[in-house]
Amino acid sequence: MSKIFPKSINALPVQLLIFYCVLGGVAAAGIDYYATPKYLNVGYQPVQPVPFEHSLHAGQLGIDCRYCHASVEKSATSSIPAAQTCMNCHSQIKTTSPVLEVVRESYKTGNAVPWLKIHVNPDYVYFNHSAHVDRGVSCVECHGKVNEMTTVYQAKAHSMSFCIDCHRDPAPHLRNPSDVFNLDSKTLADQGKLDEAKQFVHDWKVKPPTSCSGCHR
Amino acid sequence: MKRKFDHSVPSQRELSGPKYWRSLDELADTPGFREHLAREFPEGASSMEGVDRRHFMKLMAASFALGGLGLAGCRRPESHILPYGQSVEYTVPGLPLYFATAMPLRKSAIPLLAETHQGRPTKLEGNPSYLPHGGASTTLAQASVLDLYDPERATAHTKGNDILTVAQVNDLLTSITKTYAGNGEGLAFLADESASPTRTRLIGQLKKKFPRAIWAEYEAIQDEPPVAAAQAAFGQSVKPIYRFSKAKRIVSIDADFFHAEAGSLYYARDFAKGRRVTKPSDPMNRLYVVESAFTLTGSMADHRLRLASSHMLAFAAALAGKILGTSDYDSLTKGIGLNTEWADKCADDLLANRGESLVVAGADQPAQVHALVYAINAKLGNIGKTIDFVEVDAPSASSISALATAIKAGSVKTLFVLNGNPVYNAPVELEFATLLKSVPDVIRYGYYYDETSALAGTHLAATHYLESWADARTVDGTIVPVQPMIMPLFNGLMEVELLAILAGEEKPEAYGQVYATMGRDQKGFEKFLHDGLLENSTYKTSNVTFDAARISPLLASVAAATVLSADNLEVRFITDKVDDGRFANNGWLQECPDPMTKISWDNTIMVSPRLGKELGIAPTSTKILNLISTPQVARIGEAEFPQGKENAYIGEVTVNGRTLRGPMHIQPGLANYTIVLPLGHGRTKSGHVGTDAGYNAYVIRTADGAAFATGAKLRKTGERMKLANTQEHWSMEGRAIIREANYEGGEKSYQDEPNFVAGIGMEDETPGVYGAMKPEEFAKLPEAERIHLTSLRAQTTPRGNSLYETPDLGGDKAKFEGTHQWGMSIDLNTCIGCTACVIACQAENNIPIVGKEQVARGREMHWIRLDRYYSDGKADAAAFGAEGNKILPEDPQVSLQPMTCQQCELAPCETVCPVNATVHDEEGINVMAYNRCIGTRYCANNCPYKVRRFNFFDFNKRAYDALYMGPLGHQKEMPELVKMVKNPDVTVRMRGVMEKCTYCVQRIQQAKIGQIRKAGASGNVEVPDGTIKTACQQVCPVEAIVFGNIKDEKSAISLAKAQDRTYSVLGYLNTRPRTSYLAKLRNPNPLMPDYAALPLSRVEYNNKSHAGNGGAHGASQAEPAHGGES
Repeated sequence: MSKIFPKSINALPVQLLIFYCVLGGVAAAGIDYYATPKYLNVGYQPVQPVPFEHSLHAGQLGIDCRYCHASVEKSATSSIPAAQTCMNCHSQIKTTSPVLEVVRESYKTGNAVPWLKIHVNPDYVYFNHSAHVDRGVSCVECHGKVNEMTTVYQAKAHSMSFCIDCHRDPAPHLRNPSDVFNLDSKTLADQGKLDEAKQFVHDWKVKPPTSCSGCHR
Repeated sequence: MKRKFDHSVPSQRELSGPKYWRSLDELADTPGFREHLAREFPEGASSMEGVDRRHFMKLMAASFALGGLGLAGCRRPESHILPYGQSVEYTVPGLPLYFATAMPLRKSAIPLLAETHQGRPTKLEGNPSYLPHGGASTTLAQASVLDLYDPERATAHTKGNDILTVAQVNDLLTSITKTYAGNGEGLAFLADESASPTRTRLIGQLKKKFPRAIWAEYEAIQDEPPVAAAQAAFGQSVKPIYRFSKAKRIVSIDADFFHAEAGSLYYARDFAKGRRVTKPSDPMNRLYVVESAFTLTGSMADHRLRLASSHMLAFAAALAGKILGTSDYDSLTKGIGLNTEWADKCADDLLANRGESLVVAGADQPAQVHALVYAINAKLGNIGKTIDFVEVDAPSASSISALATAIKAGSVKTLFVLNGNPVYNAPVELEFATLLKSVPDVIRYGYYYDETSALAGTHLAATHYLESWADARTVDGTIVPVQPMIMPLFNGLMEVELLAILAGEEKPEAYGQVYATMGRDQKGFEKFLHDGLLENSTYKTSNVTFDAARISPLLASVAAATVLSADNLEVRFITDKVDDGRFANNGWLQECPDPMTKISWDNTIMVSPRLGKELGIAPTSTKILNLISTPQVARIGEAEFPQGKENAYIGEVTVNGRTLRGPMHIQPGLANYTIVLPLGHGRTKSGHVGTDAGYNAYVIRTADGAAFATGAKLRKTGERMKLANTQEHWSMEGRAIIREANYEGGEKSYQDEPNFVAGIGMEDETPGVYGAMKPEEFAKLPEAERIHLTSLRAQTTPRGNSLYETPDLGGDKAKFEGTHQWGMSIDLNTCIGCTACVIACQAENNIPIVGKEQVARGREMHWIRLDRYYSDGKADAAAFGAEGNKILPEDPQVSLQPMTCQQCELAPCETVCPVNATVHDEEGINVMAYNRCIGTRYCANNCPYKVRRFNFFDFNKRAYDALYMGPLGHQKEMPELVKMVKNPDVTVRMRGVMEKCTYCVQRIQQAKIGQIRKAGASGNVEVPDGTIKTACQQVCPVEAIVFGNIKDEKSAISLAKAQDRTYSVLGYLNTRPRTSYLAKLRNPNPLMPDYAALPLSRVEYNNKSHAGNGGAHGASQAEPAHGGES
């Protein structure tokens, strides 16, 4: 038989084993890194139909988040403003700006401005904005510092572990309720007041659900 | 790390897909959309094209190429957020809005609250402001929202093959008013019935404008007592309103007031008030029912007499003779072999309860029966107490036969057919289709393009009531608004507008017309719309005096009833789920199993067991393992009944030379020689769902025999067909699934033994729900103690006597540490089995329909079902071959039980799930994470209650008759329109996923979030009792379902569960269900000939459990004497 197979073949099983181990390892590492919301979602920054600058409106001008995202305290969704909301100011400022033509058109005709969705939850996830902002979870926690973004992009992964980490231990992520819409504020923990945050969790009975029915219905 | 994505500007086509309803009417005008709609359900076209290999290869090649080129498939899918151009008042995206409206049906209406999501109605609830209904609604009301989004509704106004624009329709109507200006000679209308004040006003104007025009009204179904009877008895135009809650003794003569009568919801709710008991000292009413079919009302009866509908007059006469103490009516009782003992004893009971009793006759019965019933009620002093008479307008419309005569005489030139469907359901001897063809100009106004539309030159598309301005009156006369929730999706025409244009109103807009009718200022009108009803607008109660002399001429003109036999059968027409056929294309209703026959999708020719035997269609034997042939009908044989598929014989009914064919189904409890034919099925020109579902019983129905007719013959043909039967097994076989006792009398009655449930079942021999305590010991504890223990047990997992100690998952903390612990209690004593909960659940939880084929395979998706059991006291302990198991019961007692996920604390489904897709949450709900489920179906196999449902196909995505199309086949998806009915708060499940009841977890979460928003720093996050109502609870006409937090010892649910009659189904399995049942009570009269000292299911239970004790215990104790047929 030795005439058919050279001696070096004897090493083949070991080589194959090593090869498959390395291949498997690379594949696992690749999937672990690339096929996660952290890689796939973070940084998603589509070009919007209107080049709206959050850094100008929310940052420089200091308009409160809730001026446009009006339903954030009442509803599950934070709602993208109607063109009418834009026109409250832009009927007087930059009334002829060509980039605002889409907005003016929408206001006139009622056809929606086709904003591109950046933060997309799967259909089986029921996230409720009002429950979060009411209990000291700031916009920043999930959306990043939108007030510094020229064009909004996705800053956080929004994976299930991203949610559940906070649900299991909310205290380090909470702000004083008055700071929720202040995107430059710091969490109580970052201010060195973790005890205060824990007291808040206790007093307000912040018990974020950690079972399936909390988010999946 | 930021990566810029420059998505190209979305094309118009891309945008048109997910846009919401507001664009639909625009879309509806585009040719592409029309084509799309037309293509979805091609008429009669075969859709089984299959996938040929070449096509497959082409597709695969294309997708490989795409995969190679720049990984286009990996690109993130674009989605859009489309805000309003201008904000809509009150609308907050993500929050539903509720508006008051009403569903009109014939001369009554059901006040409703419509839940709308951004202007899209998805769910209807009863309007709680209307106190007699208390927020409940009916099966039909729940299902009606589906009709709004029916892709097969009439989507355009047509004349011949041309489509008319709205302007053309207006021109057409105006030209008709001009043509007939003057006296209106040659103009005729045939409309449905309605009590709308606006319509009444406009008809008045119409008649003034066209004095010689004919206004006829026709309804296939008579659901109100004939006015002629009241006219004869009292000399006034009045109608009765029954006060069931004030009556201790109720006799129903062929009246199905839980389903078929007008105001059935009003009456069912009122009846339940007199039926409900919470402790032994509470009074309970007694119901006697005499009927030919087996209705829900009959299933609730304490005494039930099977009697042909044509013999009801004899029964009424016997009852009247005894109560009035006269022999005047004796002649009416003769000749049909009526055994008057039943009537006599019943009369005695009524006489003992003067002023607190009530006799009701069915709307289908002739005026003579009603007149006698009025006489009885008058004599008993019930008028003004348990029965009120209210003034109603005397009917002024002419009849369909008068119209037919006019058409034959050629005096009708233009005929408007408003709603209804006379070609399908007019009395057959009129031959309405032929008549219609002889009218030169027929204009049909209807919601569907149906049998009548096909013969009309012009079809005007009607609006759904959720798209219309109108008004209506409830059964007691309260005026309610009908408000639109949405713009007409297909530019439909509102009925009010149609009539207003014809009546020559200058401003025919429906809103203005309704406003004008109400005659209020803006503020008053807005209050009317807001409340959803006009206060103090009920019909006026009239003081009536009964005069026996007045009814004698009526009674003199009675044709003699005949003795029935197999050669002289009686046919009885009833309505089931699709009403008179108007809901035939509603998939929710078609698929909902009939509560008695348990058959979905078809109607059957129902025959009694005796007739079945004579015809040779009764099952005779069962083959066990296909080897041993044993006579056995309790488990209807495998050969006859392969799982879910009832192998029915086709029968041929002949009456007066007219015949029909349909599948025969043996229905215990029918009068021996009455065959029951449900109307409304077998439509020939309906949509995809309704066409050819069942057989059409109208083809043998004449005006004289509209409700029942005699002289029929039934012949068995050689053919057979499969029916989708969801419960092939009718016997409890002595198991303690439904526990029953008599209310009083006898030593095992509720009065005697309030905690009788503890003595039934096996819980005392197993670890059981009671922990270390035996059920009987537990039952003896004081109420407060029981409530406390129940609440405590909901938060921990006591080991009890179990061999296995369940680990507490929260470490040293209890397993259930949530703020609330949810539980449910279902009162079997008030449940009438109306199936409203089934449809309400379907609407709330996005439950798809699956089609007859799939139901027959046991794949129906209903999260809540109604189990129906018969017991005749004869079923034997020996499972096979015993004497008692060979006979189909002719006169059984019925027990109905809503069955849904029991939310077991120790759920067997959870332990077998390999992926933890079904687990408990901290508030005690057994949750389903659909996104985690991989579809092994282990959980369903391990569920002792069989309440888990599996998506064998993409039921939500594909039409039910195109399920088999593979992923590469032509993707025949549901039209966009159908998706609009979906509840956005509930996941739409896909293929391969298990699902089940979750106690409407979406409602729970919304209430909890609402409460924490309110709570703020106070930390009061506990949802107040009564805030959350599950869909089934909210709809329940009889308030049988209570839901809430059992941790709160003061909550309604804690009190309900603390009642003596509380038990858990299969509690001995130690599943510890959160849903418990309250045992059923029966209230029989010991003096009656058919008195049973123990409920028959209890007799069977004793037979089974104590069979070894020499039989001394059970059978001998209560051998029921059957009333049977007299």
